[in-house]
Parts: sequence; structure tokens; C-alpha cells
Amino acid sequence: MPHLPASHFLYMVAYALLVSIVFALLMKDERREQLKTGGMMFAGFVVAALAIGWLMFPFPL
Amino acid sequence: MASKTTAAERPSGSTKTAARPVTADPGRLTLVCVLSWLIPGAGHLMQGRRDKGLAFLIVLSLMFGIGLWLQGRLFPLEWSDPLVFLGAIADRGVGVPYALAYFADAGAGTVTAASYEYGNTFLMTAGLLNFLVVLDAFDIGKGRK
Repeated sequence: MPHLPASHFLYMVAYALLVSIVFALLMKDERREQLKTGGMMFAGFVVAALAIGWLMFPFPL
Repeated sequence: MASKTTAAERPSGSTKTAARPVTADPGRLTLVCVLSWLIPGAGHLMQGRRDKGLAFLIVLSLMFGIGLWLQGRLFPLEWSDPLVFLGAIADRGVGVPYALAYFADAGAGTVTAASYEYGNTFLMTAGLLNFLVVLDAFDIGKGRK
């Protein structure tokens, strides 16, 4: 079993990418529209996660 | 409830509705849905949506595999704990990959691993997304897409 990278950011990006691909394929039929929707969704996921992470940073666990 | 009309009976103004099949064979639709659940993307492949079908097969299997690699857990069907039960339903949504993992004794889950919750999320999301893929295949079979 390959060694696991301990990067939460990497896991989040991989998750956002895969979910965006599936939703884009489900929602759109044209290749161009799929790329646009998937790209927007992926960017939205990553930016939202970073923003929420940044907002939560001052709070202790 | 939608009434069953033939293409000839529909108003001539709508080319989009006229192109749809009037009825879908229920047996074939059932087969499409069951196959789509068992093998992610199979329902689309059966109906000629080759690119989408292959993409679903690769992406959902990959997602499930990453979940196992991240030491996520395949939850048992435990009625006493509703959240575990729902997680178990989500896990089973991916079909054959779940069965393969089950028989290979994978998915025991390592609670102490830093990636445990990520693994669970990948596993459950793969199953839940496959439920949406099944519904999409159903819609294609019904002529709605």
C-alpha cells in the first residue's frame, strides 16, 4: 500500500474534482457546457472550503 | 399524472417533445436501473451514452478506491444506530465495487488514521452519486433527456 500523504488540502481538492466531474456530466450534455459547469463548481468548492477554513481559523478545537 | 399520448397526438409546435419516445419498456428500464446500480455507468453505456458511462465508471470506482485507500470504513447495516445505517446504505450505492471490497475484507476502517473521516466521505459520496447516476439513466430510458 503506497504511503498516504497527510495533506487535508489534497484530499479536499481530489474530492472537489471528482464530485464536480460527476455533477457536470449529470447536469450538462454538451462537452463545452460540461467543462464550464465542472470548472465553476470545482473552483466554487475549493474557494468556499478555503474561505470557511480561514473563517474558522481563530476558533480553538 | 402524465397521460400516455402518441407522438402524432401531440401539438406539432414542440419538436423537443415529439422526439421523445412515448413509452419505455418497464422491463428494460428495470434492467437499466439495476445494471446502473451494480456497475456505475452501465446504464448509460447500455443506452449509447458511451462517454458519460465510461466517465461514471472511472470516476466513481476511483472515488470508492480512494475511500478505501484513505482507510475509510464500510459501515454495517445496523438498525440500532440510524446514522451508521444511513452510512451503510450510502456505501452500498456503488454496487459491485462494494461487493468486491466486502469479499476482499477491505474497508475495515482505521479510526485512529488522520484520513479516516475523509475515507468515509469518499466511500459514501461514491455510493450516493451512483444513486444520482441511476436516476439519470432512468430519465434517459424514459426519454426525458
